[in-house]
Amino acid sequence: MATKEVRSEITGSVWKIVKQVGDSVGEEDALMILESMKMEIPVLAEATGKIAEIRVKEGEPVAEGQVLAVLES
Amino acid sequence: MTWQPEADELARRRAFADALGGPEAIDRHHAQGRLTVRERIAGLVDAGSFQEVGKLTGKGTYEGGRLVKVVPAPYVMGLASIDGRPVAVGGEDFTVRGGTSWGSDRRKGGQGGFVEDLAHEYRIPLVNLIDGAGGSVTSATRRGYTVFPGVHGFERSVQLMAEVPVVCAVMGTAAGGPAGRAILAHWSVMVKGTSQVFAAGPPVVERSLGQKIDKEALGGAAVAVDMAGTIDNAADSEGDCFAMIRRYLSYMPQNVWELPPAVACDDPPDRREEALLTIVPRERRQPYNMRKLLGLVVDRDSTFEIQPTFGRAVITTLARLNGKVVGVIANNPMVNGGAMDVKAARKQAHFIQLCDTFHIPIVFLVDVPGFMVGQQAEQAATLREGMRSVYIALQATVPMLTVVIRKCYGMAGMGTTDKNGLDFKIAWPSAEWGSLPVEGGAAAAFKREIQAAPDPAAKLRELEAQLRELASPLLTAEAFAVEDVIDPRETRAYLCRFVDAMQGRLATTLGIKARAGVPP
Repeated sequence: MATKEVRSEITGSVWKIVKQVGDSVGEEDALMILESMKMEIPVLAEATGKIAEIRVKEGEPVAEGQVLAVLES
Repeated sequence: MTWQPEADELARRRAFADALGGPEAIDRHHAQGRLTVRERIAGLVDAGSFQEVGKLTGKGTYEGGRLVKVVPAPYVMGLASIDGRPVAVGGEDFTVRGGTSWGSDRRKGGQGGFVEDLAHEYRIPLVNLIDGAGGSVTSATRRGYTVFPGVHGFERSVQLMAEVPVVCAVMGTAAGGPAGRAILAHWSVMVKGTSQVFAAGPPVVERSLGQKIDKEALGGAAVAVDMAGTIDNAADSEGDCFAMIRRYLSYMPQNVWELPPAVACDDPPDRREEALLTIVPRERRQPYNMRKLLGLVVDRDSTFEIQPTFGRAVITTLARLNGKVVGVIANNPMVNGGAMDVKAARKQAHFIQLCDTFHIPIVFLVDVPGFMVGQQAEQAATLREGMRSVYIALQATVPMLTVVIRKCYGMAGMGTTDKNGLDFKIAWPSAEWGSLPVEGGAAAAFKREIQAAPDPAAKLRELEAQLRELASPLLTAEAFAVEDVIDPRETRAYLCRFVDAMQGRLATTLGIKARAGVPP
């Protein structure tokens, strides 16, 4: 089983976590929504899979390049 | 009486040139997943159009006065055509001494070579296919002395940047002079996985700094294109790279004394896209897909994005409107909310100068909350690089059209307008602007009033609501402080009309752009 890390493309904070560990996701599904520069930026799944890990909590600051979640496919 | 023996010898000498560094060296080169310089030129230019110049150059070996063989010079160049238009094209031959420079009476290519003179004198584009490591210390043993840096200087390369389109493609590992040459381009490209570019390669890095790093990690596309922006675009393969070069040149005039090539357009200029009415969410915190938006406005399939993976807070793309070439600069609300950071500022400044140099009108699709803020941004000199981009926008004289999609704030917002020209700004109903956004701005401006209120939070909300009522773009349009507010579906027709109308102005202001002063 291949795993893929989902990284933040921006610096900001976690506003809302939309999916939970174990959820199946399709390509382009939003996993969570980050807040940066007063904008809600969705974090999208790059491929179909299942969420193996979510490594951040709502309200937590995140840096560009930080791993937010891990997908299994 | 005939010159047949000499004609035969010429054919023999040309055959040595065609053989490059020999079958073994070619096999090794192919095994690296790379094409030879002759295959590259053939892959790039119109079939059969390559007229080589300097094919006899090389080092001949003679026995008893009779030619035995020639090791060709490690550079192949000449005149060719791309889409029927002449170009000067050349590249290092890696199969001969790794493409290192070679002592000839006159240089064939690289900085200051014949191929550069050809582009300059005939005012035709230059394409460099770079695959070499530059100077070699062995040249000192040949000459008996070491040369001063700049013996083959970049002065012609720099001159060309004001005159004709220059494309540099890094096809292999480029270090030193060839790497420097690669940067002096209007547009540069490299091939993922098989090309790397750096000031100095892994052996020098290890000796200088003790860093052990392989060449891909040091200067592969993930670093040079995505992270550093040293090179503009990455191609998936050499074939893809040639297609990209042809595509890039299709937007460029042959030189700055000509207009960019217009094409017949079968996409109706008055096409109304319903999707534009719903693409911007009413909830102003929610972003949208700016690439999709701009794709709906310009001629179908007409975009060619420059630096798509670097400075992603802004999108810079060549495109066409009713067949005429335009440069589109669009803020990307998905990255930093569209705020201009150092990388976006650098990318935007370069793109404005590219368009200004080649008389390509600029269309701004604006959604910029301002310069990027925060400790990281200040440490990176965002303010200086941001103002540099504003300076360059204010120095440009090519016509610009401004379409405010959503936010247009502060200095970054001002940098999206044609202050030297018509200063023509149109807006969508979703547009909002000001010297700074209401949020934060209200709290700072009415600090004392808010603190004195019995419920400061409620007071702040009340003040913000009052200010927001004044923020309707229609009120600004009443005062003619914005020239028009339009239905988003009218955007394409509106822009096509004005881009068509400015063609006469463009045709009468051709030539080299003079730029005075010192950008910050």
